[in-house]
Amino acid sequence: MKIKVVFILFVVVAIFSCRNSSSKNNEFVFPELDSIPLSEAEKLSPEAIADISKNISSPVEIANLLQMLEVPFSQNYLATSIDANKQSTSFDKALKLGILGADLGYLNMYERTGNSLDVLSSIRKLADDIKVGQFFDFEAIKRLSQNKSNLDSLLFISIDSYSQIDTYLRENDRGQLSALMIIGVWIEGQYLATQVVSQYPDTMLRDRIGEQKIILNDLLLLISPYCNRDQEFTALCKDLQNIKDVYRDIRITYTQGDPISVEKDGGLIVEQTETSVVEMSKEQLDGIIAIMKDIRNRLILNN
Amino acid sequence: MKKYITILTLLLIGVVSYGQTTDPLVSNCAINAGANAKYLKDFRVQLGKAANPNELRYKANMSLWKNTKYRFTMCNADDSKGQLILSIKDETNKIVISSFDKNSGKTYPFIDFTCNKSGMYQLNYDFTNGQQGSGVGVVSMVK
Repeated sequence: MKIKVVFILFVVVAIFSCRNSSSKNNEFVFPELDSIPLSEAEKLSPEAIADISKNISSPVEIANLLQMLEVPFSQNYLATSIDANKQSTSFDKALKLGILGADLGYLNMYERTGNSLDVLSSIRKLADDIKVGQFFDFEAIKRLSQNKSNLDSLLFISIDSYSQIDTYLRENDRGQLSALMIIGVWIEGQYLATQVVSQYPDTMLRDRIGEQKIILNDLLLLISPYCNRDQEFTALCKDLQNIKDVYRDIRITYTQGDPISVEKDGGLIVEQTETSVVEMSKEQLDGIIAIMKDIRNRLILNN
Repeated sequence: MKKYITILTLLLIGVVSYGQTTDPLVSNCAINAGANAKYLKDFRVQLGKAANPNELRYKANMSLWKNTKYRFTMCNADDSKGQLILSIKDETNKIVISSFDKNSGKTYPFIDFTCNKSGMYQLNYDFTNGQQGSGVGVVSMVK
């Protein structure tokens, strides 16, 4: 009996100790230095970090706005130069996972799913490299990508995979990688919006870019515990601080009003009459376009 | 010995499937939010009976953007005693929308909200009368 119990314990321990390894790689993998010292993680409560992570605008929202404005799809906006095989550090892998996640959202929204297979392959490689590939159901996404009638399922499964990765990283003391992924998504979404607005000037898009001032502080809060971690983090913190400086004099004002509600089809339809107004000059917008282009293009250079 | 093999097989299946499953309640709620609704986020809510049923207990922040029409859909698990309800407050703590009408006791399974003021909003979820329940609140965009 004792032998059986010892055998079971041995197998169970072996199974659980393998859980973080890449499913396709049985070789020994030297652990990467990507766990946060507790003292740093404790500066913000896990709930506060989770809240900030959920706050950040989805790239699908930007793509939705572009579609609404009838901006044509362009492959030129995508970070096609990223070579997943050339990313050497966890920093690069997590940041690029975020950037490519935003590109995937853009491709999905425009139903350019045929173009998304290369992006998906890169995402798969990067996710496996940082041991989160198990959260990305690549085969299901690939299958849904080939069947355009399943856009709802495709959007859900893609976004949900990223949410699961984010939660897993935060809950397993790898919050710095979660922060990088979220920042990568945001930078690419901002790059997309700023590139489009320089070609197709539109007030709604211009306002959306200006309104990002609302979440810039949260992004800085998310990354701030890691700013002194190494040179890569220090440089990224400096980039975000520089973006914040460009946004400093942009003003967002509000007008008052009460919402109007009506019942329809068993639900409630609510129209908000309060409004937000962005005060941003052309020079300020040009400054944002320039800094986003500079930072994003530097970040997607291969090592 | 058969018993041990069964236990090991179950453990193995459990570990292999770890992290790859999404609750069907969530995926069904997200996918069935409407033909013109595009999934953005979800909030999974599981609460016991409340000591004070007047205050909505599950709170989360979310940035909502001007010129966007959002759909907030509430779905309940079969074993929920209460129905999932949502109230949204703006940065000044003013209630902007609520899926529960206190006067009539009516609950709405979804709200379409046309946002005209970008900012950070607080989403407050609970179950009717502070009852025990589990459910999911899905946020989608509507064209």
